[in-house]
Formats: sequence, C-alpha cells, structure tokens
Amino acid sequence: MEQIHYDRLQETLYHEVMDNGLQVYVLPKPGFLKTYATFATKYGSVDNHFHVEGAEETTVPDGIAHFLEHKMFEEPEGDIFATFASNGASANAFTSFDQTVYLFSATENIETNLSTLVDFVQHPYFTDENVEKEKGIIGQEINMYADNPDWRVYFGLIEAMYSKHPVHIDIAGTIESIATITKETLYTCYNSFYHPSNMLLFVVGGVEPEKVFALIRSNQNSKSYGKQGEIKRIFEAEPEAVAKKRLESRLAVSMPKCLFGFKEKASGLTGEAAGRRDLTTKLMLDLLLGSSTALYQKLYDEELISDSFGHEFNSSPQYAFSAIGGDTKDPDLLLKRIREEIDLVLKSGFAEKDFERARKKKIGGYLRMLNSPENIAHEFTRYQFGGGDLFEVLPVYESLTLAETNQRLRDHVDWEQLAVSLVVSP
Amino acid sequence: MTNNVFQHGSTAGMRIHVLPTKAFKTFAISLYAGVPLEEGTVTSTALVPFVLRRGTAAYPETTQFRERLEELYGAGFGFDVYKRGDYQIVQFRMDTINDSFVQSKESLLGESFAFLGEVLTRPALENGSFRSSYVATERETVRKKLEAIVNDKIRYAAERCIEVMCEDEPFRLHPLGQRSDLDGITPDNLYKSYQDWLNGAILDLYVVGDTTPEEVEQLVKRHFGRNSSETGQYSSRFTPVTVSGVRTVEEKLDVNQGKLNMGLRTSITYKDDNYASALMYNGILGGYPHSKLFVNVREKESLAYYASSRYDGHKGIGTIQSGIESQNYGKAVDIIRKQLDELKAGNISDLELSQTKAMIRNLLSEIQDSAFELISFDFNRQLSGKERTALELLDQVEGTGAEDVKAAAETFHLDTIYFLTGQKEE
Repeated sequence: MEQIHYDRLQETLYHEVMDNGLQVYVLPKPGFLKTYATFATKYGSVDNHFHVEGAEETTVPDGIAHFLEHKMFEEPEGDIFATFASNGASANAFTSFDQTVYLFSATENIETNLSTLVDFVQHPYFTDENVEKEKGIIGQEINMYADNPDWRVYFGLIEAMYSKHPVHIDIAGTIESIATITKETLYTCYNSFYHPSNMLLFVVGGVEPEKVFALIRSNQNSKSYGKQGEIKRIFEAEPEAVAKKRLESRLAVSMPKCLFGFKEKASGLTGEAAGRRDLTTKLMLDLLLGSSTALYQKLYDEELISDSFGHEFNSSPQYAFSAIGGDTKDPDLLLKRIREEIDLVLKSGFAEKDFERARKKKIGGYLRMLNSPENIAHEFTRYQFGGGDLFEVLPVYESLTLAETNQRLRDHVDWEQLAVSLVVSP
Repeated sequence: MTNNVFQHGSTAGMRIHVLPTKAFKTFAISLYAGVPLEEGTVTSTALVPFVLRRGTAAYPETTQFRERLEELYGAGFGFDVYKRGDYQIVQFRMDTINDSFVQSKESLLGESFAFLGEVLTRPALENGSFRSSYVATERETVRKKLEAIVNDKIRYAAERCIEVMCEDEPFRLHPLGQRSDLDGITPDNLYKSYQDWLNGAILDLYVVGDTTPEEVEQLVKRHFGRNSSETGQYSSRFTPVTVSGVRTVEEKLDVNQGKLNMGLRTSITYKDDNYASALMYNGILGGYPHSKLFVNVREKESLAYYASSRYDGHKGIGTIQSGIESQNYGKAVDIIRKQLDELKAGNISDLELSQTKAMIRNLLSEIQDSAFELISFDFNRQLSGKERTALELLDQVEGTGAEDVKAAAETFHLDTIYFLTGQKEE
C-alpha cells in the first residue's frame, strides 16, 4: 500500500495495484458518514472498433457500451439494485465517451456493499431473453433524450464537427443499432474491456484504507483472470475540417438553442501535457466568455444570451473541441456579434488583472469541488484514465501564465474550424 | 449516525442558525426569505432577486459585482425561488473557501457576509429606485425562463399536472410568477415591492463551517442593517383537500415519448407524527429502484426507462412520473393504479419494508456530510414548526410497520392523471 500526502489540500490518498492489475485508490474523509465508491472501466461509447491481442479485430453496434452497463445489473438471482437496497446503498452507473462507471453511496455495511459492487461488475450474466427485454427500456431512454433539446443541440454540435470519429455517435445508440445487439456481442465487449487491468476502483469517505485493501485483495485473489492482451482501439482518420458548418434539428422550444464551438486537430497529447492544455483552455474560455466578462455582459444586455449561456471543453488524444452557447432569440445575430467581440479580444489579448482573477476563481472552484466525494471520485478516475493526477491540479493552476493563456486563445479560436448546432421549433 | 445540531439564535430581525464544524473546506451560507405564495405578489417577489444580483451600491455594475465574487476565490453565489407548501421562498446561497486553504489577506467569511448583506439591503439605485435597465433586462430573463419551461418536457408535464390539480389553490402558481404580470412591473413599483418583501419576509440565515454563533451574530449586526426587530414565524397554511373522483387530462405537444404524470392528495404533512409512514409509503411505491413502480413498470413490463414517485410533505401531495410510448397509456395507468391498490390493501413484504428503511436511513445519514443538505433539513423545522432531528425521524421510520404504511396509503387519494402525448395520430 502506497501513501501519498497532499499537504496543501490536507488529503491523504492510498494506492495499491492488485496482482491482476486492478488499480485501487482510497481517500479517507475523517468525520464523513458516507462512503462513495466507483468501479470504472476505461471503455465507453467511442470504443466501437478494437483489437485485443490474441483475439479477432471487432466492430460492434453503436450504443453497446451503454447497453452493457444496463445489463450488468442483472444477476441470476435478480436485480442487483435489490441487493444494494437491502444494505442501504444507493447504486447507479453511467456511460460516457470513454468510460463506464458503476457506483454506490452508503453509510453502513460498507464492506458488504463494496463486495457487491466488485462482484456484480465482475460477473456478467446475459441471456437471449434478458437482452431482448432491455431493448424496450433503453428504447424509452433513447426517446427520452430525443425529447431533450439540450441533449439534441449538444450531440448536433459533435455531429457537425466529426464525421469519422465515433465521438459523434450518441452514447445510447439508436433504436435500430441496439436491435442488433446480442448476448454474444455483449460478452465480446465484456471480455475485451472488463479485465481488472483496464479498471479502477476508487473509494472515498469514512473508511479505513487498510480494511478496504484487505477486502479487495482477498476478493480479487479468489477470482482467476488470465493475462489480458493489449487493447488496441482503432479510429478511422478524422478529417481536420468540420463535417458540417451548421446543423439544425427541430423540436418544440420556446426559443432557439444555439451551440457552437471550435474543432481542434487531434493533438495526441496525454498525461500532464494534456492536463495542462485542458486547464489552460478552460481558464481561457472563462476569461473570454465567463459571466464576469464585458463580452458576456454586452450580449446579455443586448438580450442575445441568457443565464443558460455557458461553455465547456472536451478532449481526448484523438479529439478536442469547445461547446459554447445557450438559448437565443436570434442565432445568426448572436454568432455575428460573438465573432466581432471575440476578434477584439484576439487582437488585444487578455489583461493581467483579469487573468489573475480568473485563476483565483478556478482555484476556488477546484477546492470547493473537493467537498464532494462524488466529484472527487469522478474527476480522479477521469484524470487517471487520461494519465494525470487530480490532486496535482493546484500547482498547475499556479504555474499557468498569461502568455500561455493568450497563446491558447489564438490557437483555439480558428473561425475555419467553427461548427454550429441549432434546435429550433418546427 | 452522529447528530449535527445547529445553534439557534436571532438578531436584527432574522433567525440565525450556526453549525460550527471543521468537516468542510468552505463556509456554506444560506439565507431564506419566505412570504405567503399569493397571486398578487408572486411575480414581483420572484423578480426581486434577479434585479438584486445585477449590482449593489458598492458594485453597481454587474461586471464589478461578479469580479468581486471571483476575487473572493470564486465564491459560489446563487439564488433559487421555489415554493414550500403555500409559501414562496427566495434562497440565497454562498459557498466560500475557508481562508486556511489559500493565501488570502481578507477574512473570506467576513467578506462574504459583507457581500450578501450588500446584495440584500443595499441594491444599486438610480433616482431612489431600481436601475431601470436592470429591471427591464431581468424582466425579460424571467419571461424567458417561464417560457422555457416547455423545453424540458418531463418537467413541463410535471408542472402542468400540478397546475391542473391545484387550479383553485395558490400552489398552482409557478414560483417564478405569471408572464401576464411582467409588463406591469416598473422600477418604481418593483422597488416598493422589494421594500415590502424585505420588511415582511421571514428571514432565516444559516452558516455551516469553521466559525461560531458569536462571530456570525457580529457579522450579521454589522452587515445586515434590517429595521425590523421582530422575527417572523411560518404558520401552517395547510388545509386538506378532499378528492372527489379522478380527473383525467390529456394534452398534445410535439414529443417523441408520452409523459405520464399523476397527482395524489394526502392529509399527512411534515409536522404530523405519521410523517415517517408517508415517507415509507412513498419509498415503497416509487422512491427507489427496488420500489413497486420501478420493478413493475420498468423491469417487468419494459414500458419505461423511468417510473418513480415523490412526496411533498409541506403540501401533502404525492406525484408519480413516467415516460412511455403513447400507445401504452392504458396499460401503464392500470399497472400504476394496481400498485396504489396493493399498498392500500397492505400487500407490503418484509423485504420491501427493510429495503426502504435502509434506503431512508442512508439518505438521512448522508445529509450529515453535506453542508447545504444539513441546512435544507433544518429549514424544514422552521417551515413546519415541528422539531424533529434526523435521528428522531430515523427512529420513527425504523418503527414503521406494514399496518402503518397501509394506514398512510389510505390517506393518499389519486386526484389527477395528466398525459402529455405526441401530435401525431396513433
């Protein structure tokens, strides 16, 4: 067991790699009653074409990672939610572009609940019948998202930007794509991506690290895993240019939703370099578009944006893009005005005092995030899978420079790389 | 479960509740201002905090106002307007980093109080009234928010169900008010409404963090110069509504998925001794993934992705929500009504009881780990006048038997079935 102390954050993290390759991290929160645990595999919606050493190269139906997540909850003796409920745990799971996360939170029976979590995720149970039954449920989940304009405008933007990279495929797939899923394809995905060496267990809360490690050690030693071959994820080359400049979908909305962003070329960046690029970009977007900026206030007073106006940045070694926008009465005017205003900032660059203030805000936001066991677990796992360390973010923020942030602005904002997604009423 | 207890006091016309603790990295501050929910004042009361967040005497420009928050290490500042029973509540929240984590020259708690006091009592003015430009834009902001309710179809259907069900009660009103009132609001009459609101509202101030009641009292005296020395008191405005038959309403909108909502009435509210039985009733019916609704509507019949229930103990209302194919309406209604009948007939297994108790126990324990959850829980006491700690509530939940749940079930009467369905002919 390795112990890492972060003095400034007043946190101590414990780490151990199990013999089968499973990464286990424990962050004790003295005084907390709750324990929150996530068991994550580095496998998400984008991993639809892969080659595991020693097996066939495979392409699988869209939405299968998410389908698999649903199906993991079923065990021969019934629904695993019932087992968690009997032990007072609230359980859930989610699938993103690049990971699938199973989780629970509980204030009692922690060891039992941890065993339940690890055991059910390590025990697939798929039958023809239970796979068919799930298609109805997920079909309704897909329909629910189809009615959600925020989701539609967000995926519309990614679809406008990317033509080849599977990030543009809806995480849940489509009714048609999930229709082709069988228990065999589910097992193929399971066996490719749920090997312990591709997974990470994070436990945060009122726990004693030694006890957690002892439990997981004996749990893992009782299961036999063969050696996992290397996983090769295959991505077709993505053109540098956006797929479509503009994409419109129709749904009853009170006002158009407009989301736009810049597609960057694949950077191949990983680890610290990627982490630094991400933090710089997010700081840069906040300096450019945050609610305290002159640009934001002008557009708000012109009634072109509302409280819904926001921005985010998403990245992996193969893709990186911003998503900016919200509700607006006049998307074209908004885009025109945004461009005028951003071009002014491109010329002037950011001011030192604004940069310092935005940095302070980011540091405060980071520290506040550490109050939440949920956020710690999710962010920590995300950082680890990307090769970074959540608890080393503070020194990175402190070392960012104005020049670097101005450079990031100029690199990111390339009007040739702009894509726009709209949701408007029929 | 430990028992975090607030220390209660009052000064300057407001009740003060302080929980000294070192468990968090921040100071959490909440200010609740409650007034009766009434047609004549609902819109102006809702609009006031929107105008207050635009600027204060010391930071009259909105960008200055927001820059100030960023200087306080990105102090979280926000507000919500909602209804609790027949009261309209405006809640301001601040979440500020504990100084010990950053190299700050100022006391961040003191500065946060100064800021919040300024927001509430010294708004930016022109000619002795609110700034007209702020009133004009924020009026539009509230209008857009009211119009945007339809964008989220799940929420829209839930709100329409309540509107229909409570058409003769103030509870039908949306907490943000009525669009038709907005045009009549001017800087002058809104400023007058603000003064009346500030003088008449029941104010509760909460602080959770590394501080003391004495320090908070001093800060309140210094930064909240409120004229009134009287602290108000919430009074129970609850009158049970007798249900005479189920009303069914179907409305059409451009949706992919039908949204089925039901409203139930109960005579049990938060202050009642059998509140725990009503909580158990809701838990067994549809509060969790092991509940009757999830198991029967989703897992057994694959009719829906979500099927759940909620219980509002301040209003004495239960609600049920699910998203289904429109053609399955009859089937879904039958299955849901069957679950209501099962509970009334007392068909409740020991397992359902023990699982639901474990989940409620977990929920009540988890509150202890979140500053804002602790605050919300204690505020129930101010609202209802009922003193009951989380531990006491837990004891009552543990003591609930099947007969108690059956007795609670007999007080829940189905009042309204609301169905939002697509425009296309089936």
